[in-house]
This record gives sequence, C-alpha cells and structure tokens, in this order.
Amino acid sequence: MSDTTATLTQDRQKLEMSALSAPAVIFTVAMIAFPVVYTIWLGFQNFSSTGKQSFAGLANYSKLVSDYEFWHGLWVTIALYVLSLVLQLVFGVWLALVLFHAKRLPGIVRSLFISPFMMPPVVAGMMWLVILDPSLGAANYILQSFGLPPSDWLASPTWVIPTVALIDSWQWTPYVALIVLGGLQSLPPSVYEAAQIDGASPFKTFQRITLPLLLPTIVTAAILRSVDLLRFFDIIYITTQGGPGNASNTLNIYGFRVGFEFFNIGYASALMLTLTAIVFGAVLAFNRLRGAVAW
Amino acid sequence: MTDAATADRWIRWLNTMQLVLAGVLIMAPTVWMVLSSFKPSFEVTAYPPTLIFTPTLDNYVELTRTTPFLSYALNSLIVTAGSTALGLLFGIPAAFAVSWTRISWPAILTLAARMAPGTLFLLPWYVMFRQVGMIGSYTALILSHAVITLPIVIWVLLPSFDGIPRSVFEAAQVDGCSVTRILWRIALPLVASGVAVSAILAFVFSWNYFLFALVLSNGDTKTLIAAAFNFIGEGSTQWGALMAAATLIALPPLVLAALVQRWLVSGLTLGAVKG
Repeated sequence: MSDTTATLTQDRQKLEMSALSAPAVIFTVAMIAFPVVYTIWLGFQNFSSTGKQSFAGLANYSKLVSDYEFWHGLWVTIALYVLSLVLQLVFGVWLALVLFHAKRLPGIVRSLFISPFMMPPVVAGMMWLVILDPSLGAANYILQSFGLPPSDWLASPTWVIPTVALIDSWQWTPYVALIVLGGLQSLPPSVYEAAQIDGASPFKTFQRITLPLLLPTIVTAAILRSVDLLRFFDIIYITTQGGPGNASNTLNIYGFRVGFEFFNIGYASALMLTLTAIVFGAVLAFNRLRGAVAW
Repeated sequence: MTDAATADRWIRWLNTMQLVLAGVLIMAPTVWMVLSSFKPSFEVTAYPPTLIFTPTLDNYVELTRTTPFLSYALNSLIVTAGSTALGLLFGIPAAFAVSWTRISWPAILTLAARMAPGTLFLLPWYVMFRQVGMIGSYTALILSHAVITLPIVIWVLLPSFDGIPRSVFEAAQVDGCSVTRILWRIALPLVASGVAVSAILAFVFSWNYFLFALVLSNGDTKTLIAAAFNFIGEGSTQWGALMAAATLIALPPLVLAALVQRWLVSGLTLGAVKG
C-alpha cells in the first residue's frame, strides 16, 4: 500500500519537475531548434530576385564549393582565429601568473582587469577606431615618437587581420587570465614545495610542473574563446565591415551580408550551417584534447 | 642580507613591474576614450594628441542634441530588462529541475544554442517575424535576446542549486511541500546571491549584444548598440561625440560588473571553472 503511495508521489514529482523545465525547453525549441530546421530547409531553396522560391537541391552547397568569397572568408576566419587564440592564450597565461604572484588583489583592481570584456565589443571597436586612425590616431603618434614607422592599421589590407586580432585580444586576454588564475589557485601547493626542495629553477618549475597541470584549464579557456572567435562579428562590423576590400570578410560577416544585404536567404543558410559545423567541430576536437590532458 | 632574500625582493619587484605594465595596457584605451569624450571639439582631433585640456561636457550635449540618444537608451533598457526577466522566469525553474533530477539535457540544449553563430537563427527569425509583422517590435527583440540570457541564468544558477544540501529538500518533502513550493519558498531564498549574479550577467550580455538588434529593430526600437553604427557614420570630425556615446554605452555594464566582480569568474565560464 505504502509502495503505491511512494510511486504516486514519485510520478507526481517527475511531472512537476518536467513542468518546471518545460518553459525553458519549449522556448529553446521554438526559438532555436525549429528555426535551425527551417534554416536547413532554406539551404535547399533558391530565392529568385522576384521573391519566387523553388527547390534547389544541393545547388547552394555546390555554389559554396566554387565560391571564391567563401574560401577567402574561411581563410580570414581561420587566420583571425589562430592569431587571436594564440595571443590570448600566451598573454592570458602570462597575466594569470603575474596576478597569481601578486597574491591579494583589491576589488577595484579586479574590476579594472575585467572591464575590457564586460564592455560591449562594439564599444571596443569604436574606441580603437579612434586610437588607430591612420592620420590622427594616438597609436601612430606613439609609434612615431619611438622612431617607428606609422601603420594604416584597420585601413591596410595586410594589417587589418592582425589589428582586429589585437583589438579582440585586448578585450579578452584578461578573461583568459581570470580562467587560468582560477586553475592556478586550485593547484595543490605541495607540488611547488617538492620542486623547491629539489632546487628547480622558477622557469623549470613552470615548464615541468605548472604548465602541464594547467593544461586542462587552458584548453577550457581555448574552447570558450573558440566559440566566440570562429563566429567573429561585432568588432569587424563596426570597424571595417569586412574591408578594406574583402580583407577582413570573415565567414560570419560574409554570411550576414549575403543574407541581409543581398537577401540571398538560401545561400546564406548554407553558409551559416557550414560555419556552425566548423564551430561545433572545433569544440568537439578541443573537448577530446581536454580529455587527453586531464589529470 | 642573504642572496635568497635579495633574489626574492628582485623577483617581487619584477612582478610588480609586470602588473603595472599589464594594468597600463588594459586601462589606457578606455582612459583615452573617456578623456576624448571630455575634450573640446578642436582638441579631439589634435595631432600630436593632447593629454592636458580644459574638460567640457560639449560632446555629451552635442550627442543628445543631434541624435535621439536617450530614446535609444530607453530601447536598450526595455529590451535588456525584458530579456533578463524572461531569462530568469524560464531559467530559474529549469536550473532547479536540472539540479534536482540530474537530467542535464535541457541545460545542454540551451548552451548549444548559445554556441551557434547568431546569424544562423537570425535568418529564419527574420523570415518568420516578417511574416507576422513583428520586425521592429520590442517583443521580437526581447524574445531574441532571451536566447542570450536563458543559458547564462541556467548555468550560473546550477552550481548554486547543487550547493544546497539535499536533506533540506527531503525534510520539506516529508512535510508535504510540493516541488514548486520548495523551489519558491526554500531553494530560491538560499540562492538569492546566485540569482543576483546571474541577473547581472544576463543583463550585461544582453545589453552588449549587437547582431539581433541590427536586423530586428527599426528606427523606433533601435537599441544603443545597434545605433552605435550610426554614430560612426557621421565621420571622423565627430570623434568627441562618438567617444561620448561609447563611454555612455559602456557605463551600465561596467558599473554592474564592478558590483559583483568577486562572483563573476565562475559565472562567466558557465561553470567550466570553479572560481
């Protein structure tokens, strides 16, 4: 008898739990899952200039393979991704070590360190646009006062990718640093003590002990940054809109323009699905790597 | 003084220097933006750039006079507050249910949605919202931004709910409390600080989000971030007003983040790192 009561309560509890997560699930399905399925369908459609819609089969995808702008966009995306990620991981680990050895950080210092990535990327783009102005910007003034040649920064087809990577790294290196700092603080102090007793130099200690132990945290930071970096949009759209020419036309910017400037919805869908596959592929690959470096 | 002590002092000095260097690199651009926003118009574009000047509010006055800055700000506030409220409304019960049942797929579903490029949803949203005449409506903007806030609320709150001892709930169950009642009367007060952090993070990221409003808003509902683009279009002579706009847009998220900085790190990594 009491068994049935228990099952009844359990069933009721299960039902109540489902009811609690239902709004979030229904919302996500309505706003994400259904639209994504719709996008997949759109990817097989052709929209003529008169707005007529017809089944296109794999035409959008075969167009993608032969589209120079797609391959260029892929190259820009990957170049920007690799450059930014390396900058942010290297300087992030450096900054984390510096912060770690500073021991106590007053709240105000912490607030200042998180300020770059708490502000909108759009604002970061606006401020750097002024600082990096080729003729009147402060950056070139500083370069010249050190006797270095000025740069065209965002206006130069050669330098625009490194410059955008620099802006993004200014914004997100402190974020990587805080993640790595969390990892550093959770390392057992005993390993350091052992290294110290063995008379290992600080550099050796870092290379042989700290870095390997930190790797899982660094990979986590890399995953979190990869998701944002592969779909790079805000800073580029504000500063260059993919220019000069098409020098900073990432896949996300290109897809956006195909969809909302040229209104080629079918082809834009194919582009965005390809980019999504790339993002999830990178996350899965890094997740594997995290498994491999775990301890 | 021993050699070790000298070396120790040397290392500490070196570290302080590096800290100062990092601080300067991180702060200088923001300081420059704020300084420029207070410069008289002829000095904003002065070359060589000036550091000492008589501060003026002209750029801020100019900004509110020549652009509908305040109505953009109001739009941002409506969209951000609305999407944060929606994120909390859906996210709090979901986080509680995931934490209790250990069935994590609803949480993972929302996270996967956050990882995909926004343009992927924007295309179908645009087609669908246009069909029902909702382009430019606050509803469309709030719904789209709730896609940003919902996973933040769920993933920031999950560890907080996980931290409540199960015995607390079991005792309440024995007393005949329904699950919903346990959530609102017992669990929620215990995770109040987590709710505050998640609300602030959701607010900040919704406020900062650019892409959706760029397409889904119209002249009347344009958010500050989407309007930023218009400020730039006005040309390089308007640097002072541009920097004033940038400073004002960045102010709300920076102030909010400073308030909860101590609890931000674990929230920012969506639980990947225990802060």
